[in-house]
Amino acid sequence: MVVKKLLRNPLSMIGLLLLLGFILVAVFAPWIAPTPEVHANDPYRVPRYGWGNTPEPPSSEHPMGLTQGKYDIFYGIVWGTRTAFQVGLIVTGLSCLIGIVIGSTSAYIGGKFDEVVMRFVDVFMSFPFLIAAIVITTILGRGLDKVIIALVIFRWTGYARLIRGNVLQVKQEEYVMAARAGGVVHRKILIRHILPNTIFPVLIQASMNMGSIVVTASTLSFLGLGAPEGHADWGQMISFARNWILGTPDNPMAYWYTVVWPGLAIVLFVLSWNLIGDAFRDIMDPRIQG
Amino acid sequence: MITYIARRLLFLPVVLIGVTLMIFVAMSFLTPYQLVSTYIKSPEELKNQSLDDLVRKYGLDQPVHVRYINWMRNLLRGDLGYSASANMPVAEAIARRFPATVELALFAIVPVILGGIWLGTISAKHYNRPLDHFSRVFAIVGWSLPDFVFGLILLMVFYGVLGWFPPGRLSMWADSIVLTGDFTRFTGLNTLDALLNGRPDIFWDSVRHLIAPVMTLAYLWWAYLLRITRSSMLEVMNKDYVRTARAKGLTERVVMNRHVRRNALIPVATVSGSMVLGLLGGVVIVETVFDYKGIGLLTATGAQQLDYTLVLGTTLFYGLLLVLINLVVDVLYAVIDPRVRLE
Repeated sequence: MVVKKLLRNPLSMIGLLLLLGFILVAVFAPWIAPTPEVHANDPYRVPRYGWGNTPEPPSSEHPMGLTQGKYDIFYGIVWGTRTAFQVGLIVTGLSCLIGIVIGSTSAYIGGKFDEVVMRFVDVFMSFPFLIAAIVITTILGRGLDKVIIALVIFRWTGYARLIRGNVLQVKQEEYVMAARAGGVVHRKILIRHILPNTIFPVLIQASMNMGSIVVTASTLSFLGLGAPEGHADWGQMISFARNWILGTPDNPMAYWYTVVWPGLAIVLFVLSWNLIGDAFRDIMDPRIQG
Repeated sequence: MITYIARRLLFLPVVLIGVTLMIFVAMSFLTPYQLVSTYIKSPEELKNQSLDDLVRKYGLDQPVHVRYINWMRNLLRGDLGYSASANMPVAEAIARRFPATVELALFAIVPVILGGIWLGTISAKHYNRPLDHFSRVFAIVGWSLPDFVFGLILLMVFYGVLGWFPPGRLSMWADSIVLTGDFTRFTGLNTLDALLNGRPDIFWDSVRHLIAPVMTLAYLWWAYLLRITRSSMLEVMNKDYVRTARAKGLTERVVMNRHVRRNALIPVATVSGSMVLGLLGGVVIVETVFDYKGIGLLTATGAQQLDYTLVLGTTLFYGLLLVLINLVVDVLYAVIDPRVRLE
């Protein structure tokens, strides 16, 4: 029913199509932007064409032009799609897993233990996410793996809180009581009886957060804390553009392609998740349908 | 009301200890030798003593609880260490850069809140009509456009092409006047100081530098506030007391402004805490994009050079700021919604 409603809403339809497009680009990256022979073993390294620093406008060989350092923009965007999905999926998966384990255990045990865990979650949530990520990457050093660690450390709390609320409700249901009376061990009650009935809202919430995770990751790359130079990453491509805002005296928009293409890639990626998420929220929220 | 505020104030030290503990845990990933720089007051100290001496002097070889107490004592004295990237003590760097960020935040906060609520009201009034669809699309697109991309586009158009809103805090000519002895720095806020010194030209120059960063901060939060105001207004519009108000024959304007919007603003007040969180993070990005020399740019450049002394110091400062702002938000919240006080 939900799927049918999603397909009927034009906005979420656009979102689904965009997402499908990005998935296709990520899967077929080696065919869309073939890796040059020279570094065939490291396809995530964006190839450079020529010496010097100045960007070059789009041409037949380089359909989106070359950015600062003569990196090929088209190649960076195509392979950057894979980077975006990697970061998004790993962070979502790990933080969801940690959140579900901690949140559901905490709610199932309840009492003082639950109280302590939730205060802990509060402290984590009360801190500006981006600044916390900056602190962690400064201490651990630069790199995409460090960005992922930083994002996971500060992302699991939301899921923990969400599933905790659901488990607290379901815990009182009769079938759980029945299982307990029947002598089923706690671990089994939690995994077999409680989680299947509480996990879905969390998974939906988590998948809707993919967009914002990718934005934060590319923000860190933009600030120079993410991927090493030359790794296919949208945020880094945009940070290259910063030095070419002014253009040339006779053409102020001379280097438009350094901002527009990678910017468009991020915007459309996030937009696709947000369109689907927004439609989901309206379908799920009965209060607005009055 | 007073007991409510007193209770919140009593809670303050608890939160502060939580924040400092978190940063202290982060610091424990660094070796004692690396941590020395977060304790020293000037680079001179490094010249005369060996690192081992300094580790011993600041008690970095002591057990955890002793180190934490030592470190807290240092913090309370305002010693945050010496920053290599800023070339001055961290506390001094923060004190110098903070007014710029305050100025930016003050200019941003009013348009952000008023604009967002206004857009949300319009959207709810025209529920499911073209204007509503239009503003929802605006909100979704706005929410999807990362601030650094939007900022760069603004910079390209309004600086590169039109030349209206340059980056930085002041133009060169204005900067040289501000730095001379004739110009008194009362507050460190360029706009206010310019007015107090009777220099409308400098006032105008600093406003010109503020417009683009404020626009970047504003559009994202407009999108967010629009969404929240809209859905909470729609919820309230279905309530019985609104129907009663209409049945009494009140005009649509009075019903909307008095009965609907007032109640719909409560969820908006609830999210203002998380808005403050977001604005603090947003300031780092916006200041980096526009080369606006505030505390956010200080943090970002420090982080790029892996200057953990500086980053830890500014983060502590952010933490303190956050706790204080949240306190104010909580009190305001209790003023708006009397039910909160009774809890």
